[in-house]
Amino acid sequence: MKPLLKIIRQGVYTSLQDSGRFGYRAIGIPVSGVMDRYSFEMGNKILNNAPNTVCLEIFNGGFEAEALSDHTYVITGADGDFFINDVQLYGWKSFSLCKGDRLKIKGSHNGSIFYVIPQGGVATESILQSRSTYPFARIGEEITQGRTLYGHELEQTQFVRGLMPIHRPRFDYIVQVRIFKGPHFDHFTPASRDRLSHSTFQYTGGNRMGYFFKGEKLNLIENREIISEATQFGTIQVPPNGNPIVLMADAQTVGGYPIIGTVHEDDLFKVAQLRTFNKIQFRLMED
Amino acid sequence: MLQMIDFPSVMWTSERTLRFAFHQEISQQNFLAVNQFNQFIHKIFRNNMIETVPGYFTVTAFLKKRLPIDIAQLESEWREFQLAFNDDISLISRVVRIPVCYDEEFALDMERVMEFTKLSYEEIVSIHTSTPYAVHLIGFLPGFPYLGGLDPRLHVPRLQTPRKQIEASSVGIGGYQTGIYPIESPGGWNIIGRTPYKLFDVTRENPTLLQTGNRVAFYSITKQEFNKINQESV
Repeated sequence: MKPLLKIIRQGVYTSLQDSGRFGYRAIGIPVSGVMDRYSFEMGNKILNNAPNTVCLEIFNGGFEAEALSDHTYVITGADGDFFINDVQLYGWKSFSLCKGDRLKIKGSHNGSIFYVIPQGGVATESILQSRSTYPFARIGEEITQGRTLYGHELEQTQFVRGLMPIHRPRFDYIVQVRIFKGPHFDHFTPASRDRLSHSTFQYTGGNRMGYFFKGEKLNLIENREIISEATQFGTIQVPPNGNPIVLMADAQTVGGYPIIGTVHEDDLFKVAQLRTFNKIQFRLMED
Repeated sequence: MLQMIDFPSVMWTSERTLRFAFHQEISQQNFLAVNQFNQFIHKIFRNNMIETVPGYFTVTAFLKKRLPIDIAQLESEWREFQLAFNDDISLISRVVRIPVCYDEEFALDMERVMEFTKLSYEEIVSIHTSTPYAVHLIGFLPGFPYLGGLDPRLHVPRLQTPRKQIEASSVGIGGYQTGIYPIESPGGWNIIGRTPYKLFDVTRENPTLLQTGNRVAFYSITKQEFNKINQESV
């Protein structure tokens, strides 16, 4: 192991993530893992990392770290203002930090989540077969100011590798995502079912557990109690206020609110990368 | 006598998620059906399965990839499975005995529960410890058991304002359910005691004390006993 980075400012909801912790949902442990799988996988490909390498996931910016050794990295995910010391840096292309350099992520423009991926990944302990952090149950390493992140001793790539812009995801102001019908779809009024797939909802905020949306209300035909059942990353729950919540990577394993639908897994990265006040349109898939 | 359980309804709720649902209710019958069906579904999908989450009346299967589903075929396999299952020892689910200290130091809402139920402290403890509870599902928090079968005399609505922090291992009543908080967390249940047992510990091979399909029997212990067990388990 070699020391990579010392955290100067940890940023928002910064955590270590891999592709998730599977096999423990029946005992209430969420899957966790990266929110934007596409940016994560592409980032690992750029560096020739193994597919499930551990990365640093950061929301919105406000992040700064000092390099403790020479190492190669890539930043993927949202567009943003990145700097090495005070020199601007570009995403989706590998770059090297030299010992003593300061890496800064100031803010995001399109999209909201960044992946800082070292070549070979971050070295951290595997807990229940995953290296993803789930801070709520104190699983995994928390990223706090002053913490040192370690990596693996590797031959460093000499060439700059990157992903051509046409292959990079676009994070739009309005996104369309495909959804499956949920188990309680028919409990909603015909007007609400129609609104779900024909109106636009605005993202009002959220975190790794869930994203909150606001729009025309989704109402049940009758207010009846729902018996709790399994939920997942992408589940669209509707609490009594009629505003949908999309459960995200740290989704609780079961929920008691009516489930109107589930976002298609290949479209989840679009949801994950929404910025506050961006909009979403759900497109119901025919089966 | 063998009673066959009907095949549940099936729907894809996501690209690779299959939801099986029995009649929508919380019942002993569903508890047994879900347990049995959960084992069946593991057997059927074997290597194509990531995991399942059994619920009160549902079994949700997370698969590695979408597979064509032949309902008629599954139905007949389900019948065969039940015939073979009937003599199986796994029908008798494990009973986990859990000590609970109902001392006032831990029972933050005992007075509220007494007032609401019009029962004495002794009556509440005696009713709460009298019958084993079925672990219908685990969720909300890692290792949090949703226990069914709470005596209706102990049904007490949740707190109007949830507490910001409830200590790990606190035992509570929330409406018609009773349960134990596995980790420190916010919560709105009426707290009536605490167990010296740890319900969740990531360092253990089985991180949770309980699993869906278990039964839980509470027994009352004094504060001295609580402290003794607590020390031993450290």
